[in-house]
Amino acid sequence: MRLGAVADAGTAISTGRPGRRPITERARAERRLAWLLCAPAVAVMALVAIYPIVYAIYLSFQRYDLRFPDSKSWVGVDNYTTILSSTDLWWQAFGVTVLITVVSVAIELVLGMAVAIVMHRAIFGRGIIRTAVLVPYGIVTVAAAFSWQYAWTPGTGYLAGLLSSTAAPLTHQWQAIAIIILAEVWKTTPFMALLLLAGLSLVPEELLRAAKVDGATAWQRFWRVMVPVMKPAILVALLFRTLDAFRIFDNIYVLTQGSQNTRSVSILDYDQLFTALNLGVGSAMSVLIFLATALIAFAYIKGFGAAAPGQELER
Amino acid sequence: MNATPKQRVSWGAANVVVVLIAAIPVLWLVSLSFKDPSTITDGSFYPHKWTWDNYSGIFDQPLFTHALVNSIAIALISTFLGVALGAMAAYAIARLDFPGKRLLVASALLIAMFPPISLVNPMFNLWRTLGIFDTWVGLIIPYMTFSLPLSIYTLSAFFREIPWELERAAALDGATPIQALRRVIIPLAAPGVFTTAILVFLYCWNDFVFAISLTSTNNARTVPAALAFFTGASQFEQPTGSIAAAAVVITIPVVIVVLLFQRRIVAGLTAGAVKG
Amino acid sequence: MGIVLAALALAVAAGCGGGQSSSGPVTLNWYIFPEFSGAFVKSAAACSQASNGAYQIKIQTLPNAADGQRQQMVRRLAADDSSLDILGLDVTWTPEFAEAGWITPWPQDLAQKIRNGTLQTMLDTATWNGKLYSAPFNTNTQLLWYRKDLVPNPPKTWKQMIAMATELSKQGKPHYIEIQGAQYEGYTVWFNTLVASAGGQIVSDDGQKVTLNQSAVQALDTIHQLANSPAVDPSIGNQMEDQTRLQFEAGRAAFELNYPYVYPSAKADVPDIFKNMAWTVYPTVKEGVPTHVTIGGIDLAVGAFSQHKQQAFDAIQCLRSPQNEIRNAVLGGLPPVLESVYNDPKFQKAYPMWQAIFTTLKQASVRPKTPAYQSVSLQISYTLSPPTSVSAKDLGTLKSRIQDAIDSKGLVP
Repeated sequence: MRLGAVADAGTAISTGRPGRRPITERARAERRLAWLLCAPAVAVMALVAIYPIVYAIYLSFQRYDLRFPDSKSWVGVDNYTTILSSTDLWWQAFGVTVLITVVSVAIELVLGMAVAIVMHRAIFGRGIIRTAVLVPYGIVTVAAAFSWQYAWTPGTGYLAGLLSSTAAPLTHQWQAIAIIILAEVWKTTPFMALLLLAGLSLVPEELLRAAKVDGATAWQRFWRVMVPVMKPAILVALLFRTLDAFRIFDNIYVLTQGSQNTRSVSILDYDQLFTALNLGVGSAMSVLIFLATALIAFAYIKGFGAAAPGQELER
Repeated sequence: MNATPKQRVSWGAANVVVVLIAAIPVLWLVSLSFKDPSTITDGSFYPHKWTWDNYSGIFDQPLFTHALVNSIAIALISTFLGVALGAMAAYAIARLDFPGKRLLVASALLIAMFPPISLVNPMFNLWRTLGIFDTWVGLIIPYMTFSLPLSIYTLSAFFREIPWELERAAALDGATPIQALRRVIIPLAAPGVFTTAILVFLYCWNDFVFAISLTSTNNARTVPAALAFFTGASQFEQPTGSIAAAAVVITIPVVIVVLLFQRRIVAGLTAGAVKG
Repeated sequence: MGIVLAALALAVAAGCGGGQSSSGPVTLNWYIFPEFSGAFVKSAAACSQASNGAYQIKIQTLPNAADGQRQQMVRRLAADDSSLDILGLDVTWTPEFAEAGWITPWPQDLAQKIRNGTLQTMLDTATWNGKLYSAPFNTNTQLLWYRKDLVPNPPKTWKQMIAMATELSKQGKPHYIEIQGAQYEGYTVWFNTLVASAGGQIVSDDGQKVTLNQSAVQALDTIHQLANSPAVDPSIGNQMEDQTRLQFEAGRAAFELNYPYVYPSAKADVPDIFKNMAWTVYPTVKEGVPTHVTIGGIDLAVGAFSQHKQQAFDAIQCLRSPQNEIRNAVLGGLPPVLESVYNDPKFQKAYPMWQAIFTTLKQASVRPKTPAYQSVSLQISYTLSPPTSVSAKDLGTLKSRIQDAIDSKGLVP
């Protein structure tokens, strides 16, 4: 029930317009406060992000190649058809991106939950463990990717030596993708773990104790008590991690530069924008990537339903 | 916590495993940073020939020291501002009712989802016109903007879980919504706030795209962008040792920041456990 | 709220840097890659001094990798940035920058001065549509490096080299032929060298049409032979210049095709290998036909929106004077573009292999001259990757993709 609902119900005077109730003073104050609190964030986001995004969308309908500045022209959806009809580049990259996203996020969720629980029950040196776990996320991405690249280079690296002496995993598509996923998982599991740990901290101990007293096994305690309370945290972690994983760039750029068909949609977009200087096609590709991520976000929010922010609150 | 000795050992072992997995690739970077350039290809995990040259080399030129200062300052300021703005908006979304809430949440997500690489060109042009290209402000603004969605989502998820009764009790005691926010909600929101702060800090810290596009000199260049300027002993040589040394050096402030913040999480946890 | 505003104000104040320096000599911004030895800094200082107060050259460092350099400059030139006075362009960028109107052609009289005594092939890279758009600054080209303890007589052709390496592999000795086969610009350079050495070229002189023919088939065959012999390094698909250098220094290779920088590097890193390191000219594709190795290097151009073009032209001429060229070569490992410098004893002392370099440079080839070069190069390295999958059958795909790249059609890998 919303805060003002009780008062509202008591003053149900018809105003002649169907479904409209007069706003109480309390509710008005609430709205003012809400807008006041949101105003700075909204202002920043609107002023800074809207112009570049709108400009990019506008460019996506143009033929605009920086190398031939005189031949700028309106081409409608031509850029989009060029992209969508490219099986060996766009759809290949799309497939690779989806694969990397699904696999790495799944692994990160499981591992992140496990690490969160381990951190929660730290026996010794809580601070040390939490810091150690966060360090992979804190190392600059390109430096960490660099570390992996050297580790897997035959001769130079300690990991390549674990395979055969002539193995060069970064030069084969599937092996390289596996390494990329490994690098992603190592780097961002801490992100998941941290969000899940904070969610874990909201689980009331009494509930767990009560469940234990009632004879629930550890597994049942996990699924019936912990997970439901953690749902919002899990959603945020999954949502942002998936959105970020779909736009993977740094790790692939350093490990393989996208060669041997390991490129993601972001790397392909980068090539169009910065190497081919084809701003029209590049912007169209950005819009497509954006639409894909929007689809993912939409799917998550629908799937998680009431756990999403901004949904009807239980008070 | 009443854990049996057997439980303590297995949890202890799990702790060790987690720390090891996190640490080994980092130790590899440390090892690379101490390896003499002639032994880079020897394939061993430990350096056989040690040298401090990589470290002295990166501090020889102003490029790296300036980049460190820029990174720390810009990340800290962006985090502070971003979390502050995000917390205010998240509180409103989680606890208050107002029209346009759904729209705000959806547009915040839209901003987080648009690939930044196609935004840097218009932003570059705009920044040059406004005169904030290659300045701290020029980076703080996009970092704040693009981390706001994450802040808002994370914080509103945590604010939602705080029991409503506390706020009502405070209201009954005569506190205004803002006082309720400061005295009651914020201490309980501590785990969420500091979690968000760490995540935002690391987002700013790690960012490459904006850093390389919106800076051009030591005035504002941050570490990820500066790494692209590291040069080996010749045009073709990859500056492995230098980059490894730089990576180790820049991890230290991160470790310090995390160590400081994570204590707040613990404090928040014990406070949260004492809920009436 | 007050704290937020204060923090923002602090950030703004910190962001506002110092103002413009007062009137005096004109400041010329020289955008160039980071040169580790400081040779460029010395040249800039020397030239600023020699200008007698006309100008001060200020070096603006660009990222280490060529792609990063191009990005930074293109972004600013597309925004009509007037602060770009002197630009250090990779040899393949002149047609692109010229066509887009980002650099200024040299006036006739000054162009003639530049042409005098400069290597012909480098001048070729700096010319577009008959006009000289940039001034060659330094150059680079690959040689064949080999282990004289394993190979008493160096091979003259690719076929011979592969056969020698195969023989070594049967004897269980180090036998790899190190060449750059990663999916990047260096691979395009290799392919271009092979095509040119077989007598052909990839794109027509006006940069409009792809001209691959029988010479391309020979090039593809050569790559195919190497990739399917025991001589190939298993990581060839991931190797750039530095990886091949490291493999040779680690003693795993008998041959290496790389730039002269590997010589002082081996001297410093691996004295044992170094004492057996010898060099010769790049192997040919056809017996008896000289090889045409693809040239690399930097040309200096004047930005189209610069406010100080006259001073920039003067500064560039100074920066590439013989003394500065020698300094760049000796300190920075950057071979000069002025033919006279190759006879200088100081230069010859620092470059024992100067003869091989000079011979190679006199008959070098250039990469396709077209404004769409970056796309063309991406298509080449993409189609031919990995080297182990290359065969003469790729010719058709290669031709259509390169033509699409020239016409700016479709996506770029």
